[in-house]
Amino acid sequence: MSTQRVIHFQLNGEAIQVRVSAHDTLIDVLGDQCGLRGARESCGQGLCGCCTVYVDDKPVSGCLSLAWFVEGTSIRTIEGLAQNDCLDPVQNAFIEAGAFQCGFCTSGFIMMTKKLLEIDPNPSDETIRHYLIGNLCRCSAYPEIINAVHLAAQKLSSAQN
Amino acid sequence: MSHVSQTHQIGRSLPRLESLDKVTGRTEYIHHLRLPHMLHGKILRSTQPHAKIKSIDYSAAAALEGVYRVVTIDDIKTILPHPYYGPAFHDQPVLADGKVRFAGEPVAVVLASDRKIAEQALGLIDVRFEDLPAIYDEVEAAHSTTLVHDELKPAATFPDLQHLKGRRGTNIALDYRLRRGDVESAFKKADYIFEHQFRTQQVMHTPMEPFVSIADVANGYATLHTASQSPSFVRIEIARLLGWPENRVRVKVPFLGGGFGAKLYIKLEALVTALSLLVKRPVKISLTMEEQFFMVTRHPCTFDIKSGVTKDGRIIARECKVWWNGGAYADIGPRVTQKAGFTSAGPYDIENVSIDSYAVYTNRPPAGALRGFGAPQTAWAYESHMDLIAKELHLDPAQFRRKNILREGNLQASGTPMRDADIELAMDRVIDHLEWNKPYDRGTHLKRRGRGLAIGFKGITAPTTSVAIVNLYADGSCALYISTVDMGQGSDTVMAQIAGEILNIDAEKIKVIHPDTDVTPYDMGTLGSRSTFHMGTAVRLAAEDAQRKITELANELGLGPHSNLSLADMLKKKYGMQAGNIIGTGSYIPDYQKPDPSTGQSTKATPFWGVGASGAEVEVDMDTGEFTVLKLVNIADVGVPLNPQLVQAQLSGAGIMQYGFTITENMVFRDGQLTNGSLADYKIPSLLDMPKDYINETTKSYDQQGPFGGKGAGESTTIALSPAIGNAIADAIGVHIHDLPITPEVVFNAIKSARAKVGVS
Amino acid sequence: MSQLKIFDPKNLKEVFSIWQDDAHDARPLGGGTALMLMMKSQLYKPSALISLAQCDERFRGIERRGNSFSIGALTTFSELENNLQITTAFPIIAQTMHTLANPRVRNVATLGGNLAHADPHLDMPPVWCSLDAELHLIGPEGERHIKVMDLFAGYYETTLKPHELIMRVNLIAQDNWQRYYAKITTRSAHDWPALGLALGLKSNKGYCDDVRIILSAATDRPTRLYQTEKILRDQVLNAHTVAQCGDAAVQEAFISSDDRGSADYKYHLLRVYLQRRLMMLAGVL
Repeated sequence: MSTQRVIHFQLNGEAIQVRVSAHDTLIDVLGDQCGLRGARESCGQGLCGCCTVYVDDKPVSGCLSLAWFVEGTSIRTIEGLAQNDCLDPVQNAFIEAGAFQCGFCTSGFIMMTKKLLEIDPNPSDETIRHYLIGNLCRCSAYPEIINAVHLAAQKLSSAQN
Repeated sequence: MSHVSQTHQIGRSLPRLESLDKVTGRTEYIHHLRLPHMLHGKILRSTQPHAKIKSIDYSAAAALEGVYRVVTIDDIKTILPHPYYGPAFHDQPVLADGKVRFAGEPVAVVLASDRKIAEQALGLIDVRFEDLPAIYDEVEAAHSTTLVHDELKPAATFPDLQHLKGRRGTNIALDYRLRRGDVESAFKKADYIFEHQFRTQQVMHTPMEPFVSIADVANGYATLHTASQSPSFVRIEIARLLGWPENRVRVKVPFLGGGFGAKLYIKLEALVTALSLLVKRPVKISLTMEEQFFMVTRHPCTFDIKSGVTKDGRIIARECKVWWNGGAYADIGPRVTQKAGFTSAGPYDIENVSIDSYAVYTNRPPAGALRGFGAPQTAWAYESHMDLIAKELHLDPAQFRRKNILREGNLQASGTPMRDADIELAMDRVIDHLEWNKPYDRGTHLKRRGRGLAIGFKGITAPTTSVAIVNLYADGSCALYISTVDMGQGSDTVMAQIAGEILNIDAEKIKVIHPDTDVTPYDMGTLGSRSTFHMGTAVRLAAEDAQRKITELANELGLGPHSNLSLADMLKKKYGMQAGNIIGTGSYIPDYQKPDPSTGQSTKATPFWGVGASGAEVEVDMDTGEFTVLKLVNIADVGVPLNPQLVQAQLSGAGIMQYGFTITENMVFRDGQLTNGSLADYKIPSLLDMPKDYINETTKSYDQQGPFGGKGAGESTTIALSPAIGNAIADAIGVHIHDLPITPEVVFNAIKSARAKVGVS
Repeated sequence: MSQLKIFDPKNLKEVFSIWQDDAHDARPLGGGTALMLMMKSQLYKPSALISLAQCDERFRGIERRGNSFSIGALTTFSELENNLQITTAFPIIAQTMHTLANPRVRNVATLGGNLAHADPHLDMPPVWCSLDAELHLIGPEGERHIKVMDLFAGYYETTLKPHELIMRVNLIAQDNWQRYYAKITTRSAHDWPALGLALGLKSNKGYCDDVRIILSAATDRPTRLYQTEKILRDQVLNAHTVAQCGDAAVQEAFISSDDRGSADYKYHLLRVYLQRRLMMLAGVL
């Protein structure tokens, strides 16, 4: 029997507590116990980005993170991006650019893109490709995704002005 | 409520109807579905490629706390007397039955409420094997006495395979043949004979949502929630396995997280059904990415191609021998063998053609449908072969193709005329993009540049049926009931556009009901670029039928032809309140003539042609063999693009996937064991792998038979892409690569061999 | 992986005490990414994990004294990448980070965990070696210092004593060195390298004052090519001497075949890339 404990953390701005086993990954807990389905386990090796969530504002692979260690942290998932029915500019950009097909990898791409644009508000194609190297899309919507990142950058900068 | 649209729906680059869900993480996939009282199943897989199962001791696993039950084929047989399935042959057991035929084959299942416990229990099961000789290569297996199956068992669903029933003593599951004219005489008359062999490797679709199915069987009814591209087929096959009528089996499919041909026919459905029937609880099996490599893959292929050519560059004879490595179970391999078979000689007008195409069993993971359905493997061969010939004859590769290309009205090797398939036009667009007729700077001796082009086509699986229902509700709002599966290609959106065009309703106002075989009518499957054409036509017919019924209602109510009463008001008039429906149905099966089994001849072997041409420019580091694809152009004929943005996404996406199959992807085996079955070691294209200059376009064309002039787009850019790159590399280094994938080491060795021939170190 | 215990010791003494207790069969955890991969693929099944998160402040922080840098082993790659002093003093670190895994891994993976994992395909270990970095180790028996080069005993094997932890990575910024890490992949761009080459060149008026040549990925551990370095030291830097270097490297290295390339091919890549990158670092191209 694995050790268990109740962990307390912020999930998309809401304080929650969940009973977890030592072996539970963060993606397991978010799916099984918190009812969230935006982040998904796909490759299981941290290579595809489908399980991307923010822990204390840093993108991590939920499939390689043990839930045990998110005690006291603040977690944000795709479900927490839109504010009051208002989509995040990155989400809007992805829709406008048609930057998804089956959508399974999309949450991960959006979460990483949002973080990229915080670090570099006007990234070049090269910067985008390198930053999103850990996000795989088998439908291969890559050209559209690059367009979406540029579009999101534009939206964010005009929102600021 | 008026839904009258002000614009045409066809030709709109409408964003996908489900966009909001996809960017907020709300999309429904089977991946995250949970049912009350559900058990998770984890599969124990064979470690041996070919062996008898001597014993399975799962006592320790069953005793592990939290394990509900461990199941083997013996348990399955108590509830399903004949637990074998498959679309072409009923050769695949629900769990290994006395024997395993590939390393990775399911042998037992552990059921538990906690999937981690189920996984842990796998390590406690002890299976004893007695190894048997194994065979892995398709050509060897075709001639070998090491047999994978004792007897062929054709499925009833494919009546043209019945002649194979009872066949024994061979690994050849199907041999397809096409004969036209007299190749032997023609070879004698030819001025030149060229013979080459080309090979393609085993690859896997790796959809980001791995295979997942849930069965809930209780009280004589079965419900399957499954990530499947072919819900109607699943219903039929599961009903057959259970011995039940179709109306007791319900199959539901939401969105798929990718399909690409993997999630077709039966994958996990038979297993979860058997398990649920056994334990009387819902059972879910969800594969890991690693396990996907053992579910279904793409056929490796060896293609021997021989052409007889005249002095002036006319191909007068072509002989094709194609061996398809189908792995341990046939899946849809026999169809690949036939459908890629009849186009194996390429899009060329050749008087004398002989094709022998063999589906071969080996002890590898099964091969099935993968985007392109065999066309990419055959195009790799015939287009590389064309360039080799052109080089020998000192002909420009484009000119050589032009001398021989199939044009409108020409009879293809099967005898079916080319219609609405302007391959030359596609090639011309590639030529424009590559500036083919301008002199080309081939770089320096250290960094050589090259360019290449290729063309290809494919025939569509036929004949197949699609049925659609349009349902207008009491307030005039509209729903479309179809069993086409949206796996990212945007079928929901396009089908809504087609219905909306007829009904004069904005597509985004139409609700597309997802496959639920209790509700949505029959569709053969979402595969092989057929949906736009077949289901699109069925939808059009259904919408037209609904339109007729609205007119009938208007007449019934005594309304004149110029009445502008809305449907909602008409229904209110008829029923006295908000009530009723207008239901239109449409069903479509294209014309088809079954090919003659000994000659492969048919006047209508395909309802439409898939057409693609590609061009590439590469730069090769002559010291290391490393190369960069500087420019990649794909031109596809999709008829009229019904939704240009979605078509663009299909062309581009299919191209990048095929790019992976050309350069970075390869399932590597040692003694029958897969050594690289995970994304850490099996490399699919990433953002950094995409060619910088990547162009995808459609030709201006119109398919006479297709809905609003449109036809399929999902596979067109997979066909000619690999040989375009291969030909470009050959142009740079002076030597052709014959086997995929093209890796830097392969190029390096080719450069070395070219230099050795010339006597240069 | 369904029987697991996690310990959250409050100090180093507790870490060692839990770790030394064989009954626990415990293993300390850095960022956990590599360990999680091994546990998920059932390659390694510890019964317990020991979190180092609270153990000791000496495992954290980046300190500088003049040209000397001391980096806590629990520093993440992201923290390293975003430290301007580090990236200014050691541009090779910034250059390597650019293609190291992906940002999510870099947010979590720690220097210490990465080194202790001893996977020969990793990017940073050969780079640390080329920088002559040292490790400050701490165990129940006490502390010691070793060169990073001496950490690796073989494939996934270190020379760490039982229950020894990497506490700090120390290195000195040196003038007049040109450095580069060549991550040579042969399949897709996001792959383990077939060959890793961490190079350092100190040149003076066209002569090689000093050089570091560390080979990784194609070998079972980061391997310094001492003989090859000797060939180049004090020589004029030109195509001829660099070519001799390439010859020597191919003789000195021991490379085996794998899915990323045959041994022959990798030897060839070693020769070509060593020559090219040395010429680049020498400013002669």
